[in-house]
Amino acid sequence: MRCRRCRAPANVEIRRSRTAYCARCYPDWFRAQVQARIDHDRMFRRDERVLVAVSGGKDSLGLWHTLTRLGYQADGMYIRLGIADYSRRSQEKSEAFAARHGLTLHQVDLEKDHGFVVPDLLDTRSGKPCAACGTVKRYHFNRVAADLGYDVVATGHNLDDEAATLLGNVVHWNTDYLGRQGPVLESTHPGLVRKVKPLYRLGERETAAYAIIERIDYILEECPMARGAKSLAYKDMLNTLEEGQPGAKYQFLVGFLKHGRKSVQSGGFDQASDLRECTRCGQPTTGDLCAYCRMADRGRRKAVLKEAKYGRQPVATTGVPTEPASPGGRDD
Amino acid sequence: MRVTILPDRQVKEVDARTVADLLKALGLLRDAHIVVRGEDILTSDVRLTEGDELEVWPVISGGA
Repeated sequence: MRCRRCRAPANVEIRRSRTAYCARCYPDWFRAQVQARIDHDRMFRRDERVLVAVSGGKDSLGLWHTLTRLGYQADGMYIRLGIADYSRRSQEKSEAFAARHGLTLHQVDLEKDHGFVVPDLLDTRSGKPCAACGTVKRYHFNRVAADLGYDVVATGHNLDDEAATLLGNVVHWNTDYLGRQGPVLESTHPGLVRKVKPLYRLGERETAAYAIIERIDYILEECPMARGAKSLAYKDMLNTLEEGQPGAKYQFLVGFLKHGRKSVQSGGFDQASDLRECTRCGQPTTGDLCAYCRMADRGRRKAVLKEAKYGRQPVATTGVPTEPASPGGRDD
Repeated sequence: MRVTILPDRQVKEVDARTVADLLKALGLLRDAHIVVRGEDILTSDVRLTEGDELEVWPVISGGA
């Protein structure tokens, strides 16, 4: 295979478009794709401040790298979720990246600042904290962005993430989620910051290739609490389909965004017209107390009980029961 | 050829003519993995030789 641009031996093939690029040309192609989506979907302008939701993985660090190389004002934000060694390593990767590139990284420490950790939020039915973890991330990324005056929060969701989320929402016919799935979630309240996904048309393999070629040191292993999550099963199914039908994931997602989404009734929290301020934290909510504050109360009660019984224990990273992920998939 | 599968660095000896054959022999999906030789990412048509030392990087992340 030869590079489409310079005809040198290729390194990264893009099977869905039957093209390939060498390691020298690939990063430019990748960044051009991101720039095209930012412009086409009107995600943000050059004079706007971007807060990148950083997890230490290839997608969020690759996105942060790309945005800074494209000349955007992009700072990072990392949440210390308290998932034992995994959180420690992902924090190290995030901090090292920021230090290496001279970038600002904001941090929230759940245990120190809020009195609980994500493993305190295990769902009693599913045995997994993924849905609650998503709420934690959305809440803090939005709150910090609003408090510090950022215009937009950018996440590293890629084509595979979005296609898997779409498949999950179709399987369960979550019409509220389907109606608002997209690369841009506009602000509908002064306390809600616009959210964008600049990598949503780039495959997971393409973001990994970018990170490897650009020598971004990212955390390779997946979150131990996500083992067995439905979102990973959906990705596996879609990649099995992709093996014989290159482009299937892209057509599934982009076809939905172009033709299917408008047919689905929009709904859910972000589109709610009767938003008010949470009586405790002031963040937008449809009730008196927001979902995060109610959930944090449960987490703190669990943390206190656990500490009284066992003392603060490191969280097990194996043997987590398998069960469903949140309908919305990953949330970083 | 000697193949190291990340992130656990599991080592396997595999006979394969090309990168595509290698992934098939290992039962791995092309869109979920990257094959690296030295510092180079390899496309699926690259021919392999017996003495090659390769790494297979998973690319899937998610859940939380």
